[in-house]
Amino acid sequence: MRYLTRTIQQCFPAQTTVSAHCDGPCGVYDPASARIAAEAALSMTKKILALDPNDHNHATVNSLSRFISIKEEQAQLAKTDLLVLWTDYFKPPHLEQYPDLHDTFWKAAKLCSAIKVEVNLEKAEELMKVINKIHNIFWATKGREVPFYSAS
Amino acid sequence: MQGSNSKEILLWLIRLRQRYRVTGASMRPLLTDNDEVLVDLRAYRRQQPRIGDIVIAQHPTQAGLLIIKRVKGVHEEGLYYLQGDNSDPTQNSPSLVTAQLIQGRVTSLFTSAT
Repeated sequence: MRYLTRTIQQCFPAQTTVSAHCDGPCGVYDPASARIAAEAALSMTKKILALDPNDHNHATVNSLSRFISIKEEQAQLAKTDLLVLWTDYFKPPHLEQYPDLHDTFWKAAKLCSAIKVEVNLEKAEELMKVINKIHNIFWATKGREVPFYSAS
Repeated sequence: MQGSNSKEILLWLIRLRQRYRVTGASMRPLLTDNDEVLVDLRAYRRQQPRIGDIVIAQHPTQAGLLIIKRVKGVHEEGLYYLQGDNSDPTQNSPSLVTAQLIQGRVTSLFTSAT
């Protein structure tokens, strides 16, 4: 059987490859993508809270619908970006250096979920603080000083 | 993981298994560079991936990149925690993927490069 499969492989090698590399080949990671999404979710939370819930005209309802939709989308995007950073970039040696790394990411992912489900300004602002912390850890692991900033 | 046998070869011949060539070292010592595996792309149509399965999946952020890893855990919201077998952390990083990104289950080794 082994001779048969080896002959097949030599004559007709598999055309499709699957990567068992330690990571994807691009290696480009940056917490900025999570920060932008979290900031957008924070902005939408503020805009939702600024609307008058008793104003039932079409324009207000339309705006409310759009703000909710964008908040959901951006909170989920922030969560995905954070999970990718957590699981693909950070390695066990980083955990030794930053023992609360898992807890920090877990807390950030939970905040993303809460921001998606609720209209909670406090949690949206808290997420920005946690992402600021992740930003500092991330760039420290790369030996670079990159100041945290926000677009708004 | 079992080596190729007549049943698996037959399933491959009737296209119920697909062949994939492995590149990289994250699945060592089980799989090494240039090993070929057989994959059942229908394995998860009726059941969910289970912890311990070796699967091929779309990379969560890099379109078109297929990865091969072992299911190490199932998280809330249908996220699967995938990781290679290599005990060297520099050769092995985990991935979190949704069920939709998992394409099939590795059923056997087709042929070993070593």
